[in-house]
This record gives sequence, structure tokens and C-alpha cells, in this order.
Amino acid sequence: MKTIRQSGLVRHHSTAGFHRSTGWMFVSFALILVGVFSIYPVISSFLLSFQTGRGAVYHFNGLGNIQRLLKDTVFLQALKNTFVYFIFQVPIMIILALTIASVLNNPKLKFRGFFRIAIFLPCVTSLVAYSVLFKSMFALDGLVNRMLLAINVVAEPIPWLLDPFWAKVLIIIALTWRWTGYNMMFYLSAMQNISPSYYEAARIDGANAFQQFRYITVPLLKPVILFTSVMSTIGTLQLFDESMNITGGGPANATITISHYIYNVLFRFTPNFGYAATISYVIVFLVAILAFVQFKLTGDDHAA
Amino acid sequence: MKKFLFVVLALMLTLSVFAAGDKEAAAAGPQKITIWAWDPNFNIAIMEEAKARYQAINPDVQFEIVDMAKADVEQKLLINLSSGVTDGLPDIVLIEDYNAEKYLSSYPDSFADLTGSFDYSQFAPYKVKLMTVGGKTYGVPFDTGVAGTYYRKDILEAAGFRASDMENITWDRFIEIGEAVFAKTGVSMCAFDPTDGGLVRVMLHSAGSWYFDKNGKPFLAGNPVMEAAVATYAKLINSPGTMKTSGWAEWVGAINSGKAATISTGVWITGSVKAEATQSGKWALAPIPRLNVPGAVNASNLGGSSWYVLNSSKAKATAIDFLKQIYAKDNDFYQKILVDRGAVGSFLPSQGGSAYMVADPFFGGQKVFQNFSAYMQKIPSVEFGSYTYEADSAIASVLPSIYAGGSVADALKAAQAQLENAIK
Repeated sequence: MKTIRQSGLVRHHSTAGFHRSTGWMFVSFALILVGVFSIYPVISSFLLSFQTGRGAVYHFNGLGNIQRLLKDTVFLQALKNTFVYFIFQVPIMIILALTIASVLNNPKLKFRGFFRIAIFLPCVTSLVAYSVLFKSMFALDGLVNRMLLAINVVAEPIPWLLDPFWAKVLIIIALTWRWTGYNMMFYLSAMQNISPSYYEAARIDGANAFQQFRYITVPLLKPVILFTSVMSTIGTLQLFDESMNITGGGPANATITISHYIYNVLFRFTPNFGYAATISYVIVFLVAILAFVQFKLTGDDHAA
Repeated sequence: MKKFLFVVLALMLTLSVFAAGDKEAAAAGPQKITIWAWDPNFNIAIMEEAKARYQAINPDVQFEIVDMAKADVEQKLLINLSSGVTDGLPDIVLIEDYNAEKYLSSYPDSFADLTGSFDYSQFAPYKVKLMTVGGKTYGVPFDTGVAGTYYRKDILEAAGFRASDMENITWDRFIEIGEAVFAKTGVSMCAFDPTDGGLVRVMLHSAGSWYFDKNGKPFLAGNPVMEAAVATYAKLINSPGTMKTSGWAEWVGAINSGKAATISTGVWITGSVKAEATQSGKWALAPIPRLNVPGAVNASNLGGSSWYVLNSSKAKATAIDFLKQIYAKDNDFYQKILVDRGAVGSFLPSQGGSAYMVADPFFGGQKVFQNFSAYMQKIPSVEFGSYTYEADSAIASVLPSIYAGGSVADALKAAQAQLENAIK
């Protein structure tokens, strides 16, 4: 080994020990950065979640924050809203993205490039810009209502922003519009890897398009679907921009999300950092549990 | 050789990290005052005027007036105060009155104590009270949100009502008039946002009550004034004479486009009322209606803010002198901002000035600012406490159930529970 003979220093160390200590030296710099900027804040915020107070003046509170959390009607409403988004929006979006990807995968389709770009474009728009646009489009006398009235789908304008139910629908529409393209791209690139011979064989056996989709495409895309659904879950649980900019938390907290509530506790109401930390840990646990459940659901299928 | 080069390169890279953090040494030259505020057409423009006047007296002082949205000023201030780092703080900051106590009690020692520097008897008492914590007064009162009702004379006359019918009325009477106006002319009497409880605050304040009692405890449930205010607001929203709007633009658009005949809010709406030039001569001013409870008056306040000096400011003495020379002395300044911006200051000696006597042709020759000054003297003194936003949020979340006809007492109990939870 050249290294040992070149430098007189290392002669006294074994090869393995030298490699180990050099390895640690290289890694230590990055490790220190991660420790200071990632691990320390996590521990510190965990400790903070047991304290309460206003602004710079706070004191230890034990489990008081958790007790307060359980009785907090706004938090429970935010939790409910977040779950409504999660249960309705994520499946709709994934199915939509799968369908569109499947359609766009067809080599005989004209202008495929244009469609792909057009559907992917919403993801690269600024969150705030599109939220503000949606807010004005869905106003009582906005573009959408005028269109719906003009084609006689409804008799009077839908109160998108004033009604608790419609406000939630609006948020789900906004989210779907924005993220479908993103997920579609994942599915599309995964589908390129599926050999067309599978489809040919299925066609010969007499399977129609829907059966091909269900029995060939979806099983082969399972890992990608799992990945996108976990990502979407995490994204939905941390939802903030749409709640903040489109509905401002919705008529009477009908669309407020957990992250938006944390923002309110920190920057709109008298700041209480301890309580905000407690709420954010709820998100952490929820994300962990849901991701675990999703892994289990698909992991078991693989084993079988 | 290669190893030597490698060591030198690594050393250079490491040292460059430290070089990047170099700060300029504090300039020993002219003093610079940094000011944070919102609204370029109102507060910022007024500060620019004040700056010009002060630089005429004291040319060595430089100003940096930073304009941001109100929510951004509040958020940035909170972040800087929480971090404990004073470098990013301005010298003077504008804080809305409802928020004042929140900042003063969450961050004691961050704001300069101005008790000895100003003669507070020259400012409207209700403004001085809300910036006084523990016997020390911290800010310089600025504009007042004294409330009134601007109404369209022509539309009300078409429905058979005269100016005297709008003077010193209760909200119940206002709603009656509203329904008659709507029935006879097809124009809504007023426009309000069902999700915005601002008018509830106006009603509470006009009866000398607030979300909190004298001891700072939430006083929503079992508060007869609160019950009356919320019930009245619900009655107003559900009345056929009221147009429902969402957001600022729609609200102002309602009067500008002639869809609503009145607007009841703070004096700062004057600029927006006058924005529609074709309506000149058709508007008049009446006192704000009062709640039907004992002790209520036809005077109230919505909004208003004040200037505060940060303790960490390097130009603190200059900043205090600036505020003193202009905001606590220059009567001519107050006349100018009234004429230009419609800003009604709370500096009492300025209110006898010429601009307050101007008969505005837009309002049919009525001396509206004299009326507002008279209303301002009657505004009850109320302590806002630190939790106005939490209380707003609690009320806003139960308003829909009251609009739908639910029990007011139950809704207020739920709101009280939410509020008590929020202020733990």
C-alpha cells in the first residue's frame, strides 16, 4: 500500500485504524454542521415544547402544553381540516396523476411534449402568486362564478370563500391543480421503464386498456406510488401557503391548517414559543405514523 | 508539493468563511434614524412630511423610512425582539394600538420609556392609557381611528329620511332605516364582511366595554354589552338592507360603485370615500350609531396607531427629539396631514387649527373634521389588553352560528373557552 510507505507518520498505525480516523476527520465537518443546525434545534424545540410564556418571558410548564392542546378547539378544528384534505385530496390527485401519465405515455399521441409541460407548469409557479390569483378568480363575482353562471351550471354564484364547505373544496381544487403535474412526472418516467412487451402480451390475451392499466401498470409502479403518496402526505400535513393566502384560515377556521395555526400562535397572537413547539411535534408524530402505515401497506404486498 | 498545495488551499477556504462575516464599522458621521411603518399613502407619506420638516431644523440627520405591509412589520418586529439580536431593529416603529400592550408586556425593556420626555396631557387620554404599562408611558400617540357614519344624502332623501334622522340613533333604528332605504331605492344601506368582526369592536368600545374585564380576564360570556354587540351585528348582517362583501376591495368598492349608501367605520376611510369624484357633494357625516345598552355613546374608535422608540436604538436621543419637535409640537404639520391624507391626529392643541375648520365640498360643505374632533372627545377610555387578536379570532369562529340563529349565550361561552385556552 503506497500510503503506508510514503508517510513515516502512518507507519505506527494499522491500515484500518488510519482509514477509520481519516474517514472521521472528513466526515466531522459535515457532522458538526448537521449537529448544530439540525439535531440541536430538534432537541431544543422538544425541550421548548414543555415551556410556556409570552415572547421572551417563559417558564417551565411540564405537560401543561399537551393538556392545553387537547382542549384547544382551534387546534382540533385545524387537525380535522388537515385530515379532510389528506383523505380527499391525496387519493384524488394520485389517481388523476396516474391516469394522465398513462394517457400521456401513449407514443401515438400528438403534442405529448406540450401536454406534459402544460400539466407540469403549475408546480413551478410561486405558491403565493397562484394563491392570490385563485383568491380573486373564486371571489363571489370572480371569473369562475361568472363562467358557471354563463353556462347555467348554477343558478346563483357559489360562495367559495364565504362558505365552510366550499372553502375546503376550493383548497382541494387548488392543491390538485398544483401538484398533479409533479406526481405525474414521477409516474411517467417510471412508466418509460415498463417494457411494451407486457402490454403487447396482454393485448393478445384480450385485455382492454383499463385492465392493462390495473393489472400491469399499477403493480409495476408500486414503489413510485408509495414514494409519491408519502411525499404528498407529508406535504399535505404541512400545508400552509394555501390556507394563509387563499382563505386566510377560512370562514370561522373552516380551512385553517396546523401549520397556519402555528403561525398564528407565533406571529399574530401574543407569541408563545413553547406552545407552538408542542403543536409542531404533533405534525412530526402524525407524519411518522402515516409514513410508517403506508410503508407497511405496500411492504406487505411485496413480501406476499 | 501536492500535499503542501492541498494544505494551503484548505486553509484559504477555511479563512474565507470568516472573512465573509465582516461588518462595516459604525459610522461616526451623521445620525441615521430607521423607521418601519405601513401604508405608503398614509403613514409613510406622513412620515416623509415629518422628515422634511425635521431636516429643515436639523439637516445633519438622515432618515430611512421602510414601507412594509402591516402584518410584515408586526412579524418582523416580533422575530427580531424574540431573537434578542438588536441589530435588525429600527429606531422608530409604528404599532397599531390594539397590539401595543402585547409588545410592551412580552418584551419589557425593549421599548424606550418616554414618560419624562413628553407632556402627555396634550394627547387624547384614551390613546395615552393604552401605551402606559406599570405607570410608564412608552409611545407617541399618532392617528386616531375615531368612528363615524358617512352616508349618501341623496339616497336617504329619496327614501324619505333627513339628516336629523341619522343623528344620535341606535343600531336598531339604523337597521330599520336600512330596510326602508333598500325597499324604496334598491340600494343597500351598508356593506359588511360577515367574517370580519371589526364592527363588534366598535360597538363594544362605544359602550366602554372590551373583550376583557378590568382584571384582564376574558369577558365574553356573561357580558351584557358583548351579547348586545354580537346580537346586533348578527341582526345587521342578516338584514336585507345589508350587502355582504369579502375583503377590503369589495367593501370599498360597494360605496364607490354606489351599491351601498353608508359606511360606518374609522375616519381613515375618508380617502377611500373621496376616491369616487363623481359622488362629490352627495355625502355627509353622522355620528356612529350606539348600542341599545345603558352607558353607550355615539362615539367609538376602530384602528389607530402610535410611534414607539426602541431601546436598542443608537440614535435614540435624536429619534425622541424628532418625534417631540414634529408630533408633539408642530401644529402646522397636523393641519397639512389632515388636508392631504385625512389623518386625524390625537395631539389636542392641533385640533383647533385651520384645517379642522375646512368645509369640504365633497361633503356638501360640512366641516367633517370638526365633527370627528367632537366625537373623539367622547370616546370612552378602554384598556385593550394584549390579546385582541386572539379575542377577534374567538368571536369570528362563533359568528356563523349566531348568524344561523343559534343561541348568543352558548356561542359566547364557546368563544370564551377558546379565548381562555388561547391566553394560557
